[in-house]
Amino acid sequence: MPVAIQADRLTKDYGAGRGLFELDLEVAKGEVFGFLGPNGAGKTTTIRLLMGMIRPSGGRATVFGLDCRRQSVDVKRLAGYVPGELPEFGALRGSEIVRYIAGLRGGVDGVAVKRICDRFDLDLRMRFRQYSRGNKQKLAIVLAFMHTPRLLILDEPTGGLDPLNQQAFYELCAEARSSGATIFLSSHVLSEVEHISDRIGIIRAGRLIRVAALHDLHEMHVRHVELEFAGTPPLERLRGVPGVEDLQATERTVRCTVRGGFAPFLQALAGMQVANLTSHEPSLEEVFLAYYRDDEHAEAG
Amino acid sequence: MTTSTLKPAELLRLAWRLQRRGLVGMTAVGVAYGAIQASAYISVAGTTAAERAAFGRQIAAFGATYSYILPLPVRPDTISGYLQWRAYGALPLLFVLWSLMSASGATRGDEDRGLVAQWLAAGAGAAGYLASRFVAFALAAAIAVTATSAAIAGGVLVTGSALDAVAVVEVSLALLAVTLCCYAIAALVAQVPGSRAAAAGAAAMVLVVLFFLESLSRTVPGLRRAARLSPFYYYDRNTPLTPGSTWDPVATVGLLAAAIVLMVAAAALMRARDVGAPLWQRSEPARPALTAASSNPLLALPVTEALYEHRRGLLAWIAGTALAAAFMASVGRQIVDVVREPGALRSYLTIAGHGDPYVALTGFFWFGVAQLLLAAFAISQVAIWTGEDSSGRLEVIFSTPVRRWRLVLERFLFLLAGVVAVVGISSTAYFGVERSQGIALKVADLSAAALPLVPFTLAFASVGALLATRVPRGTTAILGALAFFSYLATQLGPLLKWPQWALDLSVFSLYGTPISTGVNWSGTWILVAVVVAGFAAGAVLMQRREVGS
Repeated sequence: MPVAIQADRLTKDYGAGRGLFELDLEVAKGEVFGFLGPNGAGKTTTIRLLMGMIRPSGGRATVFGLDCRRQSVDVKRLAGYVPGELPEFGALRGSEIVRYIAGLRGGVDGVAVKRICDRFDLDLRMRFRQYSRGNKQKLAIVLAFMHTPRLLILDEPTGGLDPLNQQAFYELCAEARSSGATIFLSSHVLSEVEHISDRIGIIRAGRLIRVAALHDLHEMHVRHVELEFAGTPPLERLRGVPGVEDLQATERTVRCTVRGGFAPFLQALAGMQVANLTSHEPSLEEVFLAYYRDDEHAEAG
Repeated sequence: MTTSTLKPAELLRLAWRLQRRGLVGMTAVGVAYGAIQASAYISVAGTTAAERAAFGRQIAAFGATYSYILPLPVRPDTISGYLQWRAYGALPLLFVLWSLMSASGATRGDEDRGLVAQWLAAGAGAAGYLASRFVAFALAAAIAVTATSAAIAGGVLVTGSALDAVAVVEVSLALLAVTLCCYAIAALVAQVPGSRAAAAGAAAMVLVVLFFLESLSRTVPGLRRAARLSPFYYYDRNTPLTPGSTWDPVATVGLLAAAIVLMVAAAALMRARDVGAPLWQRSEPARPALTAASSNPLLALPVTEALYEHRRGLLAWIAGTALAAAFMASVGRQIVDVVREPGALRSYLTIAGHGDPYVALTGFFWFGVAQLLLAAFAISQVAIWTGEDSSGRLEVIFSTPVRRWRLVLERFLFLLAGVVAVVGISSTAYFGVERSQGIALKVADLSAAALPLVPFTLAFASVGALLATRVPRGTTAILGALAFFSYLATQLGPLLKWPQWALDLSVFSLYGTPISTGVNWSGTWILVAVVVAGFAAGAVLMQRREVGS
């Protein structure tokens, strides 16, 4: 599959352990890639490197085969960008800002501007300083999508949007994707990438710790289990099972979390009178936290 | 009823932190200004009784010309009378400018930045917030006034004289009182509009009207009753340094009391409005949402976009500079007549160069002021650039397929257009008023003086553009200090007999006195070289700089 974004040992070292370190990543053309991590993990640094805003300390990144540093102007011709921090445009009206940025960019279709504004119910008549946080974010989305780019690089794009407008944003992304656009989306809100991503990468302390399809992450690690026993729950037996955590018991019911494979857990239950067993997938948030906990355990070990 | 979760001491500590930079800047300017004025007295007034009597007559005539701005000088033949007029007559202008910027910044500026909302969310009420900002400013103003007066008194001691300590304290109290009163007026006015720029503009307008109410009342008897509305009227009643004059404690205490009353009114208005909103909000008529880009063609071209966006500021600079030029030309003949009389000020004739003394001297004074104004214009543009760079706009611009050097070129072209407009229109105003005064200014001489102002201004901006890439937060202060020093070196250095090498450090020396001695080509070429090198280096650094980190 053709590659849209490629990073080879991409590094930006700010010192004191801050920055991005040896990122190896490929995003396929037409793919929606969610880039997850807590604040300060290196998401924005990665995005700024891809957009040529900052210089790498090592390694390189390409977008559609174009070097992000040396050919950044060509990269930007292909990309739409929502920055992580909203810019200030003071007393300019929304319509004037769109005209100004469209003039710099070229190739902007007025129909696309109107369509996106209608979708978000954004009035371009207002002055930028009068806009609410959410309306400023909507304007940033308009500026990123208005030229129908082949690549969208979006740094926490739904910040400040209410749920209805978040939904409108997801629909916009879905339309862009169906027309062939590649989307690289950073977020620390897991539900956001759950909505639209094909794959996600988890970054922590400047290092990519996992890349997986969304489905794989759900399946792989953590399940919440609730067991109802006909008699007294065998707590001591369950405590010794590898991967069983957070064991809580009432008179006949046991709740626990099972990490890793299910086989040892089921073997431990053999011969027990289980009246009911329910298991549900954890939220991505819990998967996310599980990764970090794994990592912390490894470091502590 | 809610209780504040922030204690008054904590509020004051936070307010003080926001006041420190202004304190340092104002103290530096006040001390430099005061020390130079005090220590210059011997140089300009002479040492014998006859020299000082002649000097006093010159200053009395000179001061009458400037009564629109400064009080009339009384006994300027004495060092205390001279300083009461020259130092404490002009210092309110500097301190009130500071109070205006501080008050509009503390109210609307910090609201624009979201700081006020943070304070209010933390439990501070409108009254507590404004009170803490006012007290912090009062403390800072007290320190700045004390340091300035100490510099003046110290400068006098250097000359072998001494000022009456009690009188210095009295005049300092009056200066502090008028500063605080003007701060309160600005804070009150700032409650009405909805942004910092509008608040600063409205407050400046009110303060300018109040200032001229008092200053014009010196020559227009019909204004004397109305002048009592002006805080400057009560300040001018205090002339304790002038021999035979006294301090008016009632006027000083009245100014302080007025400041408190006005701050209480400001707090009431702040409580009556929404945070971040003007005092009176118009309800917008129901209109369908606009969902199309503006059709304004100026916005599609980057240089014209900047001209459109900053049109109001640019027009204000053009109008202000043209008015200043017209004013300087209108009083030129009287100034020259004063300077030509025997006395120390005759040395200006030597400094200004040969030729028609009216042309040379008025040109020397005006183009000196013009350099200062244009340096300020350049600094204001650099401040806009650094603001754009730090506010995230640069990141949006560079997310479009534009080359980075193009932005530097666009900024250069915008500034060039602005400078040409400011210089062209102010020079035209100057020429017209000079000719109406019967001064035989030739177009060729005016052109020779006006055209080098363009590379002069651009040179300041190019240095600023470079500094902004290295020390963005300090750029304005460094450029301001450079302009202030250069102006003092050019205007006062020769009178104070500063060594030539010190005078040559002034950026203004590269401009020279082209109206009387012709264009200083070597200086002009150096300025052009600085412009080319500065903007070229700025383009290179822009190419390399990291955006958004």
